[in-house]
Amino acid sequence: MSDSAATVGAARRIYLDHGATSYPKPPEVIDAVVNAMREHGANPGRGAYRMALSATRLVFEARRSLAELMGAPDARDVFFLSGCTEGCNLMLKGLLSAGDRVVVSSMEHNAVSRPLHALGDAGVEVVVVDADRAGLVNVEAMESAVRAAPTRAVICQHASNVTGAVQPIADLADIAHENGALLLVDGAQGLGHLDVDVSTLDVDAYACSGHKGLLGPQGVGILYLRPGLDARELLQGGTGGGASEEPAQPMGRPERYEAGTPNTPGIAGAGVAARLLLAHGSEWREEEQRLFRRLKEGLLEIEGVTVFGPATDEECVPICSMVSDKLEPDRIAFMLDRTAGVAVRSGLHCAPWAHRTLGTLETGALRFGVGHGNTDADIDVALGALAEILR
Amino acid sequence: MGREAQPFVAFGFASVHDALEAEDVLRGDGIPATPIPPPKELGATCGLALRVCPDDAALADESMSAAGKPPISRADFLDL
Repeated sequence: MSDSAATVGAARRIYLDHGATSYPKPPEVIDAVVNAMREHGANPGRGAYRMALSATRLVFEARRSLAELMGAPDARDVFFLSGCTEGCNLMLKGLLSAGDRVVVSSMEHNAVSRPLHALGDAGVEVVVVDADRAGLVNVEAMESAVRAAPTRAVICQHASNVTGAVQPIADLADIAHENGALLLVDGAQGLGHLDVDVSTLDVDAYACSGHKGLLGPQGVGILYLRPGLDARELLQGGTGGGASEEPAQPMGRPERYEAGTPNTPGIAGAGVAARLLLAHGSEWREEEQRLFRRLKEGLLEIEGVTVFGPATDEECVPICSMVSDKLEPDRIAFMLDRTAGVAVRSGLHCAPWAHRTLGTLETGALRFGVGHGNTDADIDVALGALAEILR
Repeated sequence: MGREAQPFVAFGFASVHDALEAEDVLRGDGIPATPIPPPKELGATCGLALRVCPDDAALADESMSAAGKPPISRADFLDL
């Protein structure tokens, strides 16, 4: 790498790591975060003076917007948490107990596999069902595993953070419910990139991120829990209610799952992001899919590159991973950044189960994630730089 | 000059979300309601109550119940 090439890379910034987080955020989201801190700085739900009320309304409206975006009929079933990881922990640890048996796909992120590992130590039986080499869950194999013994829950991601594969959630819901089990979904890569409707999908729990496809700020996650589903809360604490004299955590929603002061600026940003997606989501998804196809087709044309993910005409979120027979993924990622300013991520992407499924556990892979704000030029520069590095 | 007593009715709710939903319902039905700190007479409620004029209280109660957002408690007050 020459010094001049490094200078070009330092000056340019092409962000293709939307699987990790979205960037840049829409200006409306940034304004909402700043406005919440500047004008609505009181503690929501704590106090009835005007600034506390305005903060409370801000969270209230954000909850309604997220519920509308996710197809949740009652906004009280939508909880604001610190992230999707907390949502996954809550739905798993809140609903599973020693002696339970669960069936889970082999494509899960550590946000699911690590809580399940801990639950396994606590007496939960975890049955992992292999997906195929594109990262797609095998519905028949999942059904066989569920039928093999009484099962408390089927657990699956909505979309893979490694291959972009979109899982057959509605089919898995049918299988789970026909066998008396719950369907718990990690939707970290779903919301924003896919049209999510928790009612149509018939899920029992759906955890999602505020800062990936939703385009909100980091530090916010959302969990939807089906009405009446009694998950134990992870935290107990203040909820701002007048029933403060009660020693036990209130059972009402959403307070039960939101102990402590909420991340009001982050929630404000997530709420505005949800409104933006309600208004423009279809159009933005179409554009990111177009750019993603351009990227994937370009990757497939580079000699010695293997791309992991569904075929280009199959449904997927705009994420894929690749390996080259010429250079390790970490070297490619470094060179792309330093010579062309292209931001992509190498390694295991916090998803060792998925990489084991793909056969890339030892090497890792290079992941591209396309999202809102990317352009044709971004894709072309990234492909050109990659071809040059692998020449 | 003494303060003039302004009687009011306060409604309590299970959650702040419920209180704000009920406020929306009342606003939609043209019934003035003001979020206030919950008086202790409402018992174990959330951190927001809705204050309405006594003349509107029955209509407010009916409106919230019809919308599926009924309060969990009610108290009548004679002070400011």
